[in-house]
Amino acid sequence: MSKYILSKKSSLNELATLYSFLIGLLIAFIIGSIILILQGQNPIDVFSLMLKLSVGSFNSISSSLNKAIPLILAGLGIAIINTVKLWNIGAEGQIFLGAIFVNLIYINTDFNSPSIHIIVLLISGFIGGSVCILIPAITKVVFGVNEIITTLLTNYIIIGITIYLINGPWKDPNSLSFPVAAYVGEEVYLPTIGEKLSAGFLICVLFTIGAYYLIDKSVFGYEMRIAGGSVMTAIYAGINAKQKAFLAMLIGGGFAGLAGAIELLSQTHRVSTGISQGFGYTAIIVAAITGMRPIGIFLVGSLFGALTIGGSVIQTIGVSAYIAEIIQALTLFGALIAQFFFTYEIKEVENG
Amino acid sequence: MVDVQLMGLLNATLQAATLLFVAALGELITEKSGILNLGVEGMISVGAVAGFITAVNTENLILSIFVGILAASIFSSVHAFVTVILKQDQTVSGLILTILGLALSALLGKNYIGRKLNVKIESVGKISEPSNVIEVLLNQNIIFYIAIVLMVSTAYILKNTMFGRRFQAVGEDSKSSDSMGLNIVKTQFIATCVGGAFAGLAGVYLTLSYVPYWTDGMTSGRGWIALALVIFGGWKPYRTAFGALIFGFLEALVPRLQTYGFELSPYLLRITPYLITIIVLVVLTIYKEGETGAPRNIGKPFFRENR
Repeated sequence: MSKYILSKKSSLNELATLYSFLIGLLIAFIIGSIILILQGQNPIDVFSLMLKLSVGSFNSISSSLNKAIPLILAGLGIAIINTVKLWNIGAEGQIFLGAIFVNLIYINTDFNSPSIHIIVLLISGFIGGSVCILIPAITKVVFGVNEIITTLLTNYIIIGITIYLINGPWKDPNSLSFPVAAYVGEEVYLPTIGEKLSAGFLICVLFTIGAYYLIDKSVFGYEMRIAGGSVMTAIYAGINAKQKAFLAMLIGGGFAGLAGAIELLSQTHRVSTGISQGFGYTAIIVAAITGMRPIGIFLVGSLFGALTIGGSVIQTIGVSAYIAEIIQALTLFGALIAQFFFTYEIKEVENG
Repeated sequence: MVDVQLMGLLNATLQAATLLFVAALGELITEKSGILNLGVEGMISVGAVAGFITAVNTENLILSIFVGILAASIFSSVHAFVTVILKQDQTVSGLILTILGLALSALLGKNYIGRKLNVKIESVGKISEPSNVIEVLLNQNIIFYIAIVLMVSTAYILKNTMFGRRFQAVGEDSKSSDSMGLNIVKTQFIATCVGGAFAGLAGVYLTLSYVPYWTDGMTSGRGWIALALVIFGGWKPYRTAFGALIFGFLEALVPRLQTYGFELSPYLLRITPYLITIIVLVVLTIYKEGETGAPRNIGKPFFRENR
């Protein structure tokens, strides 16, 4: 008599990750179509409108890429932190604190040169993101407190502080009853490429290359991987695992903070609750679906940026914008299902 | 007058604690089987919207509670399928379950925002201003009493019955349990769906009694606090309930602080439960020095091949 067992065939390589993603996307669009039909919409009409309005012209592509910037940067931050096998669920809060730091520095400093001013503000955003993850990082490294829960709870704290600031000390008196901070001056707006594409996208490209180098090519990346692996190996290799984990978290948080700075300087131009619309959460999907690979995060982030834009424009025909979010989440579930078939096989074994 | 105020605080504490505890107890059961489900927030939300929609349309409370529980349970089976059957990463799957649950419930509840509910889960005693502890206890609704029954029975079953011991063995040492002839896959699948059902019950408590209306993101981190409560309670039902009472007390206290004469921005007061959750987790982790009481196999997929 023989029986069947599950056996790990291979680890997930890049090609299998890509195929899994595409299969996941297909599954997500099929289920998305079913949801739309149940809501009384024609999925083909909805999806073709989404496609047209997200990538149909240079301007709509620009909007899509602008939305991709925070997804990519926060996703890269999550991937860097995952190199030491830790999770950053706090990118949403880090984006907000990045923007808060930008405004804080903007209010309190004065520079003659706008370009230096912009660079200082971008760095402030990065630092804001690092500060945001500081407490989860310290408590993780020193005491071993579960970083998934602390980074997540930090989101609620930072968004609470944002709401406090825009209702209290930073409330723009000209905005009447609507709680927002005052606009920053036009001299610190990020320039655009063409009509709409934010120069932040170039920063995004640079940071993607930087993250790729950091994770895959640098000595630090190698040490991070060992630190995230076995404790004993790290000790034998003379690597201070806690220090690597701490640095990885600060850098990763900074990436998300930079996203907040770019969002403020090129999109909202002021601190409001609209600085991030769940980008920090979508970034988790983007990072996980690519197996934490920077180039993949760049590509999937761009695609998801287009999906988000598509989702927001179809509201005009009465379709909920949440359909885009649902498709993004379902893509990851679909990809997880597909990954199973790439990594496992059912083996027949002799019993006894 | 002071008594009425104090009893009002106790009343609100029990209400907030019930919601947190029911969700936390469900997660405790799931985690005892060795499966970590970070999707609590999403499952509560799905249960909440499903129960609310049913209540608006049918005005049948029993049916609404049932639909809320069932919807969250079916929703959690996605996590069970992906992690138990397909052995995929439990952290990733759970996180996405939360994101999907929040988006799905927002989509389904779109036309129900601001809708008035004609039926509501009423308190058993229907006392408007309870003035002593007995009256406060009588002033809770049926889900509070269900929560107490669930707490006592879960604690008893886990500790004193053969079934409970075997169930815990799956989460502690799935390989030995497998050689003892226990069905690991079935046990973990069912435990995950039971966790979803409990989250669904917490969800209907939220929309049919505690608030009661529907709006996007109204779970506001309660699922994550429930997850923290499981750690706080050291995977033990009574201690988890104690934790829920502390957090319920904070949630009840914060909006009242101003009436007690504290001059602090209400916006800043609102972040205190999250801040205190972090502080409590830190203190607890230092105090226990790594011995948390977590099931040893949590997060690790089971392979018969590894036996």
